Amino acid sequence: MSFLEIRDLCLDVGGFELSGIGLKAEKGDYLALIGPSGSGKSLILETIIGFYGLEKGRIILEGKDITDLPPDMRHISIVYQDHMLFPHMNVFENIAYALRKKVKDKKQIETEVKQVAEVLGISELLHRKPTTLSGGEKQRAALARSLVARPKLLLLDEPFSALDTRTREKLREMLKKAIADYSTTVLHVTHDFEDVWALANRVVVIRKGEVMQAGDPESVFKRPSPDFVAEFLGTNVLKGKVKALEGKLAVVEAEGLEIYSTDPAEPGEEVTVSIRPEEVILARETVESSARNILKGKVSGIFKKEHLVVVEVKMGSAEIKAVITPTSCEMLGLEPGREIYAVFKASNARIIR
Amino acid sequence: MQFLRSPGMNNSWFRNLTVGIAFFFTFLLFSSIGVLLFVLKPSEIISSLLSEEMFYSMKLSMLTSSASTFSVMCCSIPTAYALSRYSFPGKRMVKAVLGLPMAFPELVMGLALLLLFGHGFLGPYLEMAGIKVIFSKLGIVVAQFFVAFPYAVRVIYSTFEDINPRYEQVSRSFGYGEFETFRHVTLPMARSGLFASSVITFARCIGAFGAVLVLAGGSYMHTEVLPVTLYLNISYGNLEMAITSGILLMGIAFLAILSFERFEGGKL
Repeated sequence: MSFLEIRDLCLDVGGFELSGIGLKAEKGDYLALIGPSGSGKSLILETIIGFYGLEKGRIILEGKDITDLPPDMRHISIVYQDHMLFPHMNVFENIAYALRKKVKDKKQIETEVKQVAEVLGISELLHRKPTTLSGGEKQRAALARSLVARPKLLLLDEPFSALDTRTREKLREMLKKAIADYSTTVLHVTHDFEDVWALANRVVVIRKGEVMQAGDPESVFKRPSPDFVAEFLGTNVLKGKVKALEGKLAVVEAEGLEIYSTDPAEPGEEVTVSIRPEEVILARETVESSARNILKGKVSGIFKKEHLVVVEVKMGSAEIKAVITPTSCEMLGLEPGREIYAVFKASNARIIR
Repeated sequence: MQFLRSPGMNNSWFRNLTVGIAFFFTFLLFSSIGVLLFVLKPSEIISSLLSEEMFYSMKLSMLTSSASTFSVMCCSIPTAYALSRYSFPGKRMVKAVLGLPMAFPELVMGLALLLLFGHGFLGPYLEMAGIKVIFSKLGIVVAQFFVAFPYAVRVIYSTFEDINPRYEQVSRSFGYGEFETFRHVTLPMARSGLFASSVITFARCIGAFGAVLVLAGGSYMHTEVLPVTLYLNISYGNLEMAITSGILLMGIAFLAILSFERFEGGKL
């Protein structure tokens, strides 16, 4: 039996419905729930933590049915996008609050708070009130508070979406380390692919209150189900090996192609490269440009996706998808079999491990 | 909300009209308060203040209003919390009934209470238990309670509504029960709203007149609270006493409004 099992979860809250959601996670899994906004992702989390009663379905954690348990008996913690730090307590008290129910010894509480503060780099902020913290600091404090309780399951409801890109990257690193330290099983709701790449080992795609697809991130993004693509465009995933470093760029040999990436990598490393289709430019001839990656291939397929056109370009064994407007498609005179160059910047070829 | 200030807006006739009306009536109100303050000589005010009757009525007002404010807070906090957080059958009706006293006259409220606690319904039972509500000091508290309760519920309700239930959810997730969460999270977060509503409740209790008069009788030096002093002394033609109690009531109201304005915004 799985560590966490959600069976046939049905719920109707004022016009929004979850119908027959099923999820599974093993101990130590990092499960990302991804889907467009309004797809019911947050609702799933709030159901798991016990905010809403279920109409139908079961939630089973560690082989125990917790469906009818009140939230305080479930040992599940949650971090919301808007952190929910108690404004009348300082950071230390906020974190200690999470422990007070389990640990009575004051000394031990202090040690544990300091320890988690160390991991998340907020040791200097313990005496501050939440209102005086920056967005990233608040979110780190909220993570610390949730982790210190050593929950069986940690729920993250878009914890990074209110932060700027750099803070987000920093926080992902910290979170990764922290959940490894505390060996927590995580359910992370997001609409950001980067969260999935950086953190998750499994991904579940949710749309309109239903599970569309589940699996490891690579397979889901490489072969997104047709319904999913209507909302998201998926991404190009290429497997390969770092051949060499050329200045600051890593040269990756992937499926017969040579791809330059700005992401840090070590020579000889096995890596996966992700290129978002909307970042690929199609050109009829080689153009002199700042983009380092210019790959020659043949158009193997063209299909419409809403108001855009997805073009599949075959290059040896590899295939790269590009998204362009119908006008560009016409101007380039694209048709299957035509030779074409796919151009993208080294900074858009992201290395995933 | 901040409106963009366009150049043409500053001198529009509509703006001038609304600002003019605002000033005119605030001025009227202000001058009527001023008149109250300046009719009497300070020596007259002081001698009225030091009279035995005024002393009695001030003391009784303070005591009864404190008692009723305390009981109003004890009852309105749970009521407001239930209305804000839980759904239960009859919730709409509870809300509607609580809204009623705001619309209907205090005097009618007093009459209704008189009938309820009188000989027809609860009176005989209470009397057996040794409790006398009608024409007693307890009656003052009861009348004040029912006058102020709906207002307190309304203010506290909006305070609870402003607190995101997710705070409570987070606290629950750390193993705290509903009551513990309420005590450690909700109450401290509602602090300033609760303070504001107790101030406004106190002001309403001390100023309650119609219901108090009908239920407690308003007899000289027995159930005489400040508004009753004002009323009694006007009917005797003793203006100095009437005006002095008026000034006292006004002073209390003014302080209450000031602190309400200060704390209602949430900073304590």
